Amino acid sequence: MAKQILRCAVNDEAVEVLVQPYATLLDALREDLGLTGPKEGCGTGDCGACTVHLDDQPVASCLMLAMQARDRAVRTIEGLSKGALHPLQEAFVRHGVPQCGFCIPGVLMAAAALLNEKPRPSEEEIRYGIAGNLCRCTGYTKMVTAITEAAASMPQGASSR
Amino acid sequence: MSTMKTTRDVRGVGLSIPRADGAEKVTGRVEYVADIKRRGLLHAKLLRSPHAHARIIRIDVSKARALPGVRAVLTAADIPELKRKAPTRAHAVLAIDRAVFAGQPVAAVAADEVAIAEEALDLIEVQYEVLAAAVDPLLSMQPGAPPVADAGTEADTSEALAHSAVAIAKGETPTKAVNVSQTSQVKRGDVAKGFAESDVVIEHTYRVPMVHQGYLEPHAVLAEWDTAGNLTLWASTQGSFNTRSEVADVLGIEENRIKVIPVECGGGFGGKIRALCEPITALLARATGRPVRYVMTRREELEAGMPAPQVIIRLKTGAKRDGSLIALEAETVLESGAFSGTVLAVSAVFLGSLYKWPAFDIKGSEVLTHKPSVAAYRAPVAPQTIFAIDSQMEHLARALGLDPVEFRARHLSRPGEPMVNNQPWASHGGHEVLQKAAEHPLWKERAGWKARGSNGKLHGTGLALGGWLGGLQPTGATVKLNPDGTLSVLTGQVDIAGTNIALAQIAASAYGIDIEKVKITTGDTDTAPVTGLSAGSKTVYTVGVAVMQAAQDARRQTLEIAAGELEASVQDLEIVDGRIVVRGVPDRGITLTQIGRKGNLYMSKVPPVLGSAHPAFSQQAPAFAAQIARIEVDPDTGEVTLHEFVVVQDAGRAINPLGVEGQMQGGAVQSLGMALTEALAYDDKGRLTNPSLLDYRKLTAADLPSIETIIVEVPSPAGPFGARGVGEPPIVPAPAAIANAIHDATGVRITECPLSPERIALALIGQGSTRPTA
Repeated sequence: MAKQILRCAVNDEAVEVLVQPYATLLDALREDLGLTGPKEGCGTGDCGACTVHLDDQPVASCLMLAMQARDRAVRTIEGLSKGALHPLQEAFVRHGVPQCGFCIPGVLMAAAALLNEKPRPSEEEIRYGIAGNLCRCTGYTKMVTAITEAAASMPQGASSR
Repeated sequence: MSTMKTTRDVRGVGLSIPRADGAEKVTGRVEYVADIKRRGLLHAKLLRSPHAHARIIRIDVSKARALPGVRAVLTAADIPELKRKAPTRAHAVLAIDRAVFAGQPVAAVAADEVAIAEEALDLIEVQYEVLAAAVDPLLSMQPGAPPVADAGTEADTSEALAHSAVAIAKGETPTKAVNVSQTSQVKRGDVAKGFAESDVVIEHTYRVPMVHQGYLEPHAVLAEWDTAGNLTLWASTQGSFNTRSEVADVLGIEENRIKVIPVECGGGFGGKIRALCEPITALLARATGRPVRYVMTRREELEAGMPAPQVIIRLKTGAKRDGSLIALEAETVLESGAFSGTVLAVSAVFLGSLYKWPAFDIKGSEVLTHKPSVAAYRAPVAPQTIFAIDSQMEHLARALGLDPVEFRARHLSRPGEPMVNNQPWASHGGHEVLQKAAEHPLWKERAGWKARGSNGKLHGTGLALGGWLGGLQPTGATVKLNPDGTLSVLTGQVDIAGTNIALAQIAASAYGIDIEKVKITTGDTDTAPVTGLSAGSKTVYTVGVAVMQAAQDARRQTLEIAAGELEASVQDLEIVDGRIVVRGVPDRGITLTQIGRKGNLYMSKVPPVLGSAHPAFSQQAPAFAAQIARIEVDPDTGEVTLHEFVVVQDAGRAINPLGVEGQMQGGAVQSLGMALTEALAYDDKGRLTNPSLLDYRKLTAADLPSIETIIVEVPSPAGPFGARGVGEPPIVPAPAAIANAIHDATGVRITECPLSPERIALALIGQGSTRPTA
């Protein structure tokens, strides 16, 4: 099969890349664009480690074809913040959330999408907001605390970037 | 040696300092094996047997080899190193002429792209003769069961050596049951007489199915050979030196020809101790002369990883009306899958000597079945064993009308009292942990919670106590003073749990310098001193001692150099703010930077400071955790809602409380998963029926409350600054705690995990009533 040209925005930059028609968005990000922050934990959309934003909505990039991102805006963990850490990232570090770290990029992208929708989520809303992200190390407790604290530290309505 | 005094307080041991690699991890910059690029990299895929037990009649790889982009296709016939009677999974690289579990590799492909390798698998033709499979471990023990191992295969006891560090007697030679690969037996007193004298005798059979460790990063390895025949492995492993030894043994090459680079490990929990896909990946790299990477899929992980054994324990206990324990009889069956390698000793120690039984008789069998062979899973066999013995203690206490916590405390073995193998229990904080749990409001107010059940929902509270005996392994570390007065710590320790920050804190306190001046590195097997596994709750406990001694050694060298420079005696010197001064004469001093620089100056006569230590160990430090669960049960659906959960744990000395809490919370949730939802489910042909994370149900954030943590500190005599291991204890108690809570809520004792809605609802129907009775 012939490769196809994918044109889209990734982390606010226009990209043009040749991808296999069967390549997933996750494969294109990791293999063709060198963005290895999104992880493949299952390949079937069950673990959330591959979560990225597509037009500001969280998606499992392992379940999408790369070509479905044509003319759309993709944001990965590498583009969550510019320069300084995002308040979510900062809170995750301070609370010692990451252990093995493999789930963390996906959890952060899910949490960032949640705060875009709901700048001051309740604990229950946070727990449901990251329910699609499996973590085997932390038991989620420090994650929820860190997300709560990050939300409180962010000005209302300015949750993204 | 545990209370090395520094001359002033430094920022080190005891502080909640976030780990140094946090920013790397939250930005997605940390590299795992699947993220590494090498020039000319090929991708590997394995063809796996769809049958649990089958003879391989013929394999035809000609079409696969002819596919463009395929660089190598290997079968057992292409690997002269392969031997029959493989003692471990690692040695059984590819099935020779018989597949012994569904998912066993039978052929391997390396290709330019993953998709090409996958296509090549479809072109490999294998003709199988399907054979009867031994699926149920109890049936597998019976005469006439289909044999799993080739006759004459040795049992593998290395897991026991790595993990339990306790020895118990081997059992009598088994009655030649075909699939019983190891046995053990420990006895004391007259059990039959004990039961005859008992007022209450309770017998249950407890079962916990095979469960998967569940690390988020699947097994992955990248292998590359140089032209001189040296192999480099970028591995996701819990022990690079162990990986090196196993791969060297399988390939028959010298260990110093293999360099294992421990790449960031995306979770292990015991499942990444033993070699699994490293040998075949190295063989594909050798066959192609190119670097080859293999990353397992999640389906492969679930079907053909190395899960925890199924554990079946028949347990009979007798007690007197006054609450005294009289006799215990147990038969433990550990289902090891297709290869030997479980830990019988842990089960015997906890069954027979966590509580004091005047008479006991405990038999253990390791049984092979046609399923993937097992490995360690965080406190191997302890959660399953505690599920049995703690449930039994709770049931006894209720039957005798005694307070369940006082009953446990009264009988809990104290330090110095004999274990089943007659070795004395080492110092432990089990009683202190139990006491602290009993004081918790969740426990004290359990009657009130139970009374508040409404709308047909039943409320209950459960408490359980469990622990871990503590692992030991020799290990090494170096600490060097840099020319600018900073410290560099080097070990080969894989940081799977946040241990590097704790080790750096130990170095800071032992040397007498702030943590900000200390950097720790995990070296590869060529550069780091020999270092043990990151397993068995022994990283801080043993590597911490090596780092502490190496830092003390570096401090001693530093002070000796300073003494010469200052013309003072070492005893009169102290390190204050990066400067060595003569006590009471603050003007007379020399900075660490000056000493560091002198050790790196052309023509200098001052040697560079290089502290090192490479201790071995003999003193274990058992560590206990108690957990309290406050639950609600819907008697119609059997659904359990977890409202609150508390972990009380003895850390000895919390080197980094933040990290300890993370271990307690994460371990507790794994324990709750084993209690509530997780099971690898097999059909009667030995095929996994739930090979995805949709169907193999791990707990999510939405299933759980926040996990409360209470750290108890009963210092260990030999650990660094009194520390005990903290990784394993929190995964142990929850199956029993939840079963006890269900008993409290419903009056029904359930003895099989997971404690699923279906199982609970059926048990309540079986009881004929949903009214609480106890």
